[in-house]
Parts: sequence; C-alpha cells; structure tokens
Amino acid sequence: MGDAVARVTTRARTIDADFALIGHQESWRAAADVLAVLRGRQRTPLPDDEIKDILPWIPPRAVCHVDVGSLAGTKARGLYIDSFIPPDRLEAAYVHENIARVRGAAACAIKAGAKIVSLGGFSSILIEGNFDQLPERRGTVFTTGNTLTVAFIVQGIQKMCAMEGRNLRRSTLLIVGATGDVGSGCARCLAPIVKRVLLSARNVERLSRLAAELQDDGVQVEVATDLQQFSAEADVVICAASLASPSLLLGRIAPDAIVCDAGYPKNLSPTAEMLDAKVFFGGLGQITGGMKFTPDFHGVLNRHPFPDVVHGCLLEGMALALEHRFEPFSQGRGFITEERVDEIETIAARHGIYLAPLYNADGPLEDGLDDRWNGREDEPIGERPSRTVESSF
Amino acid sequence: MESLIGVNCSAIECSSTGAPIWRDILAQAMTGELLAAMNYTSLSEMCEDPAEIADALEHAQGEQGHAAAFAAEGRKIGVDVTNNVDAKHWKRLRDAFLRCITERDFIGCLIVQEIMLESFAVASYSRVGKVAPGSLGGTFARIAAEEEDHVDHAMAILRAERARDAQRFDDKVYRLHLDVMTTLAQMLAKECKDGHCEVCHASCVKPSLFEVSLSAADLRGASLQQYLKTLDMLGIPGEVTLRWVTQLPV
Repeated sequence: MGDAVARVTTRARTIDADFALIGHQESWRAAADVLAVLRGRQRTPLPDDEIKDILPWIPPRAVCHVDVGSLAGTKARGLYIDSFIPPDRLEAAYVHENIARVRGAAACAIKAGAKIVSLGGFSSILIEGNFDQLPERRGTVFTTGNTLTVAFIVQGIQKMCAMEGRNLRRSTLLIVGATGDVGSGCARCLAPIVKRVLLSARNVERLSRLAAELQDDGVQVEVATDLQQFSAEADVVICAASLASPSLLLGRIAPDAIVCDAGYPKNLSPTAEMLDAKVFFGGLGQITGGMKFTPDFHGVLNRHPFPDVVHGCLLEGMALALEHRFEPFSQGRGFITEERVDEIETIAARHGIYLAPLYNADGPLEDGLDDRWNGREDEPIGERPSRTVESSF
Repeated sequence: MESLIGVNCSAIECSSTGAPIWRDILAQAMTGELLAAMNYTSLSEMCEDPAEIADALEHAQGEQGHAAAFAAEGRKIGVDVTNNVDAKHWKRLRDAFLRCITERDFIGCLIVQEIMLESFAVASYSRVGKVAPGSLGGTFARIAAEEEDHVDHAMAILRAERARDAQRFDDKVYRLHLDVMTTLAQMLAKECKDGHCEVCHASCVKPSLFEVSLSAADLRGASLQQYLKTLDMLGIPGEVTLRWVTQLPV
C-alpha cells in the first residue's frame, strides 16, 4: 500500500504549471466518467443519483495534469482545474454560486503557480470583461481564450462552405448572439467577406453600435432582437449564444443553410426543425504536437470523435504557453479584431494547433474518426439537454 | 423574556412531530462528543509535556460540555438523549484513534480527531444549526463554531509537521483516511445498508430527516466538502484529495 500512496501523492506535489485550464462538465454523463476515472477501474462506478448528490459539494480543484507539445519542439505543462459547476445549474439563478466556483478555480490556478489561465466554457461567460472579480494574483494572467475560438469558427465556416461548394462571398450571414465577445469577433472577421450580415442579439444599443462599426467599413448590415424576423434569409448561421431551445428559434432558417454551433454547451443538432441544415460544432481546434493527461483522462475530458481536439478557448492558453507569451490575450468586452485573430492563428499554427476536423452531434463530417470515440453519450444518466457530444475540453 | 419565548417556541416546534428525529440527531451528536472526550483523555495520557497534557484535558472537558449541552437540549424538548460510544461505527472510529495512541503517534491522533472527525462535526452541526428551531439550533451552531476553533488550533501544528516532510505526512494522512474516512463514509451513506447503527432510538433516522429540512445526502456532502477544504488548508494537493474522496464507499 505504501507504494500506492507514494504514487498518488508524489505526482502532484511539485507543481510547476505553465498554464491552467478552468472548465466544468457539460453533462452528468461526462461528470460520471470523470469521477469514474478518479475512482479507479477496480471500484464499482458511483450510481447516477450519488453523482448528482456528491458533485455539487466538491470544491473547485485540479483534476489532472496536462502536458502538451509543439511542432516547434517546445513543451508546456499545465493543469486542468474543474470548477465543478453542476451541469444542471448553468442558468442565471445560479450565477453568483457559479462565479464563486470560478473564483475558487482561479485561486487554485494561482496557488499552483500557473503563468497563464484559460477560462473555458461557461467560466469565461461568467467572468468575461470582469477580470477584477478574480482573486488577486501575482505572476498569473487570465485569458478568455475567445480570440482563438473566433479564429476556429471563422475557419470552420470557410471550410464548411468549401465542402458544400458554397460561395461565402455570395452568402447572407446571420450571427445569433452577435454582441457577445465571440459573436462580435466573428462579425468583424466575416463581414468583409460575405454579401450581407444579419446581427441578432437582445441588447439593441450594443447591436446598433456593432452595426455602425461594420457599416463604417462598407458592409451591408441589418439588426434585429427578434431572431425569427430574418432567420429565413440567412444561408450561413453562426449560433454564438447558448440558446435554451435553439432548434425552435432556428426553425425558420433556410432549409440547406450552413449552421455553426459556436455556443456553450453545444446544443444544436440537425433535427426535424433543421432537416437539411448543415450543422457543425465550431470553435474547436486540434493539437498535433501531442497532449497527455495524468491521470489518463484521454477521451473523457475531450470527448470528441477525433484525437486531441480541444475547445479553442483552452487551446489559446496552451498556444500562448508554448509561445512563452504569458499575457491576457483575450479579455472579453467585445474587443476581438481581425488583426488579433490573425495573430493568435499564427501563434497556434506555429505550434501545430489547427482547426479540428468538422463534426456534429451525429458524428464526423469528414474522415479521420478516432477509434477512442465510442459513442458513450448514448448511455443513460439522468436527463440530457439534447443529443450532443459533450466535452469540457 | 426573549429567552423564554425562544425556549417555548423550541419546545413546541420540536415536540410536535420532530421530537423523535431531534432525539436521534442529538444522540448521534452526543455520542460523537463523548467519543471525542475519550479520545482527548487518551491523548493526555500519552503526552509527556505538561502543557500538552493540560491542553488535551481541557479539550476533553470541552467535549464533555458539548455532550452535556446536547443532553440538556433534549430535556428541553422532552426527550431523553441516549448515547452509545460502543455502537459499531463509533467503536471503529475510537479503535482507529486508539491505534494512533498505541503507536504513540501524536500527529496521527490530531489528524483523526481534528481533521477527520471534526470536519464531520463542524459541517453537520452547522447545517443542523441552520434548521433546528430555537435554542436547539443555537446550541448546534455554537458548538460548530467551537469545534472549528479546535481545527484552527491543530492546523498550525499539522502544517508545521507537513513542512518538515510533506511526502511522509501525506502518506500518513492517506493511511488514516482509508481507515477513518471509510467508516465515516459508511455512517454518512444515504441509507444504512449494513443494519442498525445502534445509536438511533428505533429505526434509522435518515429517511425522516426531510421532515426537519435536513437530508442525509446534504449532511454527507457538506461533511466531505469541509474535509476537502481542511485538507486544502493543510496544503495537500487538491487533485490528490479529490481522488481519495471519490474512492470512498457510498
């Protein structure tokens, strides 16, 4: 037993983290798999009801170490820190509780000496533009990671159009959640290369401001707070808001529209409402220089149909760590520009981080299926918000 | 006048439907306090430094005072609070502590009593304190705060010990965790699957806890959270302690 104890304790003692990734599980199924790994294969997995009872009480903490490599030959060490936001508590009613959890996770990252911290998934939505809500830190910077997310969304749209034989320059682009950090970044990058832009969001003032900015550059822009007002006119859609019932809201889009699910959690699927729509999950990248989890969470934290696929927001922290650029590259508040997107794209590519192969809830849209992806999302655990491939990475 | 109203309210609210539930909750708490008093007395017998002996005896006296306070709360609501330090789970916890005594392991004693048992006490008393009516709630809340002070006191000693040899310290905590926390996890399970706990007056109190706005799941969750936070304060890596806790029986 002594050896086992030593193994458990020694690995984590000397933390020297270049980066930390803060995330949480998107579904109870994903949470169950994480706890199953921690519990060990030799023990009976925790029953679903026990997981739902226990998880909300777990304080934010590191779950595993992450080692990544670059094609340029550099390496970086990091930590994945889970805020343990329960998958069914993402609504506004839990915002204060969830901010406290993200703060707790940030404190873990600071304590571990992480030089750069990516705020993954909902963590970034909670903290976006309010970095002053994070604990005091010395030598640790935070990034929302949204700039690289935007880069991969834009690349994904271009790739999907090419795959479908569409001419993006003749397209009408609809951005849902257009005034957010990711939505506005996508608008700035794609507006110059499409025919017409439709912006949808809840805040009229911010919509008007973004529209004016784009119009100053000669772009044809229309805005609406009611999504259904012009969703039928778009043939390319970026859904950058995590809509409660996106399928219903997007029920009127053109039947063969290209739809990028850029929200978090991913919850669009090519269902009856969008029978012929070409839906893909956007904002995902692939790290080709190698990624290793200790303990081995491969295929558990990154539940994608292709190997080493990670959300762009987390990859941004890894790319900056590999580049030794420990700076708060993305700070929220809608300041993502084409120039910054180009810059992070270049940095990421230098280290072998590229757009991930495209896929959606039904599976891959191109070749290269990872054998490790075994479709476990079909296993039952509680209620699932939609058919999707969940991942905290 | 105010205190009289408080006592009356407490008696009425507790004696109506919840009295049998409060009796069992008080019995568990009283048993835990008496066991803690026995542990500190044993510790005092092991110590050689007069200051440490006095400290341990003072703690023992404090825990006896807590037990007496719980008994008094029972009388206020008209129930006789019994205790059973030989009940199966509690006896296993006592035996684990006595093994540390036998090994003359002062640090081990502190880890068992102050980190593991007190985490359980602080978290569960705090939650009971929030929902129990009148002076009953006040007593649980007060004792929770006093137990937290004990933890703070021990923390300084344990941190200093860990600073000397973190590997050895963490290994010791893990070994004691396997022993003590496994028993506590069985006690805290949502249902007592392995028979009567030998403390509850009649059938298991857990299924009835909802009647007084408590739940076995919440008490367990709060206790494990407190335990993890206490281990964090000691400096043991969070990813390590998370694994320890997820491996406990449910």
